[in-house]
Amino acid sequence: MPGMRLARWMAAVPMAVLALATIYPLVFTANVAMKTRRDYILDRFSPAGSLRWDNLAEAWAGAGMARYFVNSFVVVACAVFLLLLLGSMAGFALSQLRFRGSSVIFLGCLAGLFIPFQVIMVPLTRIMADSGLVDTYPGLILAYVAQYLPFTVFLMTSHYRTIPAEIVDAARIDGNTVYGVYRRIMLPLGVPALLSVGILDALFCWNDVLISLLMMPSPEHRTLMIGVNALRGQYSDDIPTFASGVLIAAIPLLMIYLFLQRQIADGVTAGSTKG
Amino acid sequence: MKQRGRRARTAARSSSHGARAERLAPYVLVAPAVLIIVVLRLWPLVLGVNFSFTGDGELNGSPVGLSNYLELAGDPLFRTSLRNVGLLVLLLPVAVAIPGLLATFIYLRVPGHRVYRSVYFFPAVLSPVIVGAIFNLMLGFDGPLNAVLGSIGAGPIDWLGDPGIAMFTVVGVHIWATFGMALVVFLAGFSTLDASLLDAARMDGASLRQIIWHVIIPSLTRTIQFVFVTTMIGMLTSMFGLLFIMTSGGPEGSTYLPEYYIWHQQGQMNRPALASAASTVLFVVMLVVGLLQITLLRRTGRQD
Repeated sequence: MPGMRLARWMAAVPMAVLALATIYPLVFTANVAMKTRRDYILDRFSPAGSLRWDNLAEAWAGAGMARYFVNSFVVVACAVFLLLLLGSMAGFALSQLRFRGSSVIFLGCLAGLFIPFQVIMVPLTRIMADSGLVDTYPGLILAYVAQYLPFTVFLMTSHYRTIPAEIVDAARIDGNTVYGVYRRIMLPLGVPALLSVGILDALFCWNDVLISLLMMPSPEHRTLMIGVNALRGQYSDDIPTFASGVLIAAIPLLMIYLFLQRQIADGVTAGSTKG
Repeated sequence: MKQRGRRARTAARSSSHGARAERLAPYVLVAPAVLIIVVLRLWPLVLGVNFSFTGDGELNGSPVGLSNYLELAGDPLFRTSLRNVGLLVLLLPVAVAIPGLLATFIYLRVPGHRVYRSVYFFPAVLSPVIVGAIFNLMLGFDGPLNAVLGSIGAGPIDWLGDPGIAMFTVVGVHIWATFGMALVVFLAGFSTLDASLLDAARMDGASLRQIIWHVIIPSLTRTIQFVFVTTMIGMLTSMFGLLFIMTSGGPEGSTYLPEYYIWHQQGQMNRPALASAASTVLFVVMLVVGLLQITLLRRTGRQD
C-alpha cells in the first residue's frame, strides 16, 4: 500500500510542526528567564548566552514564592490524602458490600460529578463564609475535597468492582471485620488506582485558580497559581523576572509530567472506558 | 449475594455488638463522602436556584421573582458571554477533530509516533495560569508569533487587544493546552479497536479517508461521544484561569464567558443573587448542550 505509506509521511510533517508548537512556548519562556532586562529589550529571541540564575532568585525571593509554594503544598497534600481515604472507603462499600440505599448513594455521587463548580460557587462560598471557613486552610481543603470527591469515588468504585467477590468472602471467613477487609485487602489492592487518581486529584488542586481565589482572599494565603498572577503586576516592566516566576511554578508540573505521565494517562482514560 | 451476607454474619457472630457494628459498617464507610457531597455539592445547587429568585443589596433575601433573569437578559456583558458559548459550541468539532486526527495518525504509526504521543500530552499537565502567562509572552505585539507572521510578510496581529480576535485567541490557547488529554482518551479507544477490521480494509485497498470514515469513526462512537461531552464541559468550566490571566474579560468585554461573569458579579460587583441566576442559566445551558450532543451522536452512531 504505497498510498498509505505516503500519507503517513505527509502526516508526519504537520505533526512535527505541531510538536514544535507544543514545546517552543516553554523553551521561549525559559530562554527569556535567562536574559537580563537589557538583553530582552534588545533581542528577545536570541539564545541567552549563559545560564543566569539571578532572575530566578529574584522571582523566588522578591515575590515571596516560597510562601505560595508552602501554601499550595500543604493544601494539596491534605486534600489528596482526604480524597483518597474517603474515596476508597466509599468505593469499597459501593462496589463490594450489599446494603440498603447503595444504588441511590452511587447515583448521588454521579450527580455530584455533573455539577460544575461555577454553578454552585455562590451558595458554596456563602456556606463556607457562614461556617467561618473562608480564608482558612481547612476551608480550602474542604472545598477541594468536595469538588473532586465525586470523581474520586466514581473511579475507586469502578476499580474495586474489578476485584472478585471471593477475595472479600475469603477474608471475612478468616475472621476479618469489614474494616479489617478494607485495611488489609482493599487498600493494598487499590494502590494502582489510588496512585493514578491521586496524581490527577493533586494536579487538579495544584492547578486550580477559581476555588482558591474565592476561598483564600488574603495575600498571605495565596496558593502558587494566584501568586503567579500577582507576579504579573509586580514585574510588569521586568519580563525576564516574570518569566522566571512562571518557570519556577512550572517546574513541579514538569517533574510530574516526566515521571508520572503514564499514571496520569491511566487516570484520564479510566473515565472513558469505564464510564 | 444473600449467601455472602449470611456468611458474613456467621463470621461476625462473636458478639451481638460486633454483628451490629458489621451491619452498620457500610454506612460508616460511605457516610463522610455522602455528607460532603450532599452538603457541599447537591445542597448548594438547590440553594443557588432558590437564591436566584431573591434580591441583592437592600433587597437581600427578599423574593424578587424573575427580575434577576430579566436583568441578565438585558445585560450586554451576559449576552456577550452567551454568544461566546455559542462560538465555543461551533468550535467544538475542531477541538475534537484535532486530537482525533492526531490519534489516528499515531495509531497508524506515523514516523516518530511514540515521541509525538508524549510531546503532545505535555501541555495537559500545565495549569491555565502558567499556560496563560506563557502565551501572554508568546502573543505580545512583538512576540514570537507575530515575528513568525512578520517573516512571511503578514501581521502583526493584536491577538489579545482586538475585540474581534481575542476570543478566538483564548479558545486557541485552550485547545493548545488540552488537546493532549483528548488525544490520550482517543488512543485508549483505539486500543480497543479490532485490528483485523483495519487490515481487511487495507487489503481491499481502502484509502486513508475511507478507513477513517468507514472503519475508525463507526467503531469509536463511544469514545468520540465521551470526548465531545468532556471537551464541551471543559470549554464551559475550565477557561476561567486563562481569562483571568490573559484578558480579564476584555477587550471591551469581548472575552466574557458565563463563568467569568458569575465570578465578576459575585466577587467584584457584590451581586450574589444575580450571579446565582447566571449560574442557573449556565447549568441549564450545559444540560441542554450535553443532552443534545448525546442524542445527536447516538443517532449518527445508529446509522452506521
